[in-house]
Amino acid sequence: MGLTELLGTYGQNYLNGLLTTWSLTAVSFVFVMVLAVAVTVMRVSPFAPLRVVGDLYVQVFRNIPGVALLIIIAYALPDLNVVLDWRTCVIVTTILMGSAFGSENFMSGINTIGVGQIEAARSIGLSFGQILRRIVIPQALRTTVLPMTNLLIAVMLTTALGSQVPLSPQELTGVVSYVNTRATGGILAFLVSAVGYVGTALVISLAGNRIDRRVRILR
Amino acid sequence: MKEQSAAEKSVPVIELRHVDKHFGDLHVLRDINLTVEKGEVLVVIGPSGSGKSTMCRTINRLETIDSGEILIEGEPLPQEGAELTRMRAELGMVFQQFNLFAHMTILDNVTLGPREVLGVPRDEAERRAMELLERVGVAEQAQKVPAQLSGGQQQRAAIARSLAMRPKAMMFDEPTSALDPEMINEVLDVMVELAREGMTMVVVTHEMNFARRVADRVVFMADGQIVEEGAPDEFFDHPRTQRARDFLDSIKGH
Repeated sequence: MGLTELLGTYGQNYLNGLLTTWSLTAVSFVFVMVLAVAVTVMRVSPFAPLRVVGDLYVQVFRNIPGVALLIIIAYALPDLNVVLDWRTCVIVTTILMGSAFGSENFMSGINTIGVGQIEAARSIGLSFGQILRRIVIPQALRTTVLPMTNLLIAVMLTTALGSQVPLSPQELTGVVSYVNTRATGGILAFLVSAVGYVGTALVISLAGNRIDRRVRILR
Repeated sequence: MKEQSAAEKSVPVIELRHVDKHFGDLHVLRDINLTVEKGEVLVVIGPSGSGKSTMCRTINRLETIDSGEILIEGEPLPQEGAELTRMRAELGMVFQQFNLFAHMTILDNVTLGPREVLGVPRDEAERRAMELLERVGVAEQAQKVPAQLSGGQQQRAAIARSLAMRPKAMMFDEPTSALDPEMINEVLDVMVELAREGMTMVVVTHEMNFARRVADRVVFMADGQIVEEGAPDEFFDHPRTQRARDFLDSIKGH
């Protein structure tokens, strides 16, 4: 099957696949960032049990293969009467993994701030919460634009887990499976999806570079 | 301005009683007793490792103490929580490394405390911040971020940031030690001005000329102890202890 025929027959599937990948990625990434901030706040809190929970969260979700996590969420949780629809299963898996890595990015961003600024903030009477909100989180966000750009790309690639469950509509990798069970698309069927991933990743990293240049903190 | 009634004098702004502190096996503060009266300028000198910075930092509890008491206007320094935060807001601190907030303009650095801690509205906080920046001579830099300023300018901005909280006393922890020589005086001039206006100050420094000119009292520390204290002329011209004589000899020519 040639490219023209492939796109002629399955073009609409690929297009829907790309749009689905984008929407899975966008929804997941919003929650990845929110959760990463929350977990990081736990990890730097003065309250030891919170720190332990935060560290544990990162260690667990950073070190489980995505497919295993998806299987647990999609096929084991129903035994505990937690039944999520397929799309939600994929998104939750992606969020749990992504936020663990995101928190690691934030931790390294926080380490660049230096204890001096924190002491200065304490000495003018800012509370722990105010120091987080006004000093630590803004600087951590602004110094981690490039790693977070990489994370966004990784989140997009993680949504390919959607090919392992009966999603509807399918995302890009699921479309390849669909095509290859119906026709002999071969490597070409993969390449079309790859163009979608690579093209999106290029746009993301271009945008990331521009944002980084705008918000980077002079030191 | 240094004359005070007996009643006022009875409550020092800062008082340390029998303060002890260890870093592991190292006994960094040994039975420190010290009072700082309202409007007094106290200069703390001594060799490095003598505990002078640590002592300065215990006063707003950036360092904890093992035993003893620290009183601010007669009230015990709270250990933690909202009371400690409130007390810190009333004591200014200037650091060796300036420690300006790197992601904010100079103006925002100065207005942050008043707005967040004291609840001052933005325009009022900014008006007052500009007055202070004018006073320390960096008003033209208000819209820049710290990295765009020289060390001397950054330190003056840091002083303005502390003053914006209208503190009861200001602590200076080696404020000129990280500066290039040509920038030291611009910072010292601001401090001299503050002292003249009657600010209560604790200054840890190696600037002996500053100590001689501005200090009401000099405290000499070595090995975690206060070895000698007295009026600056008396201390510099007639040190009583061998330890102080050795120290003063070692820095002659500076």
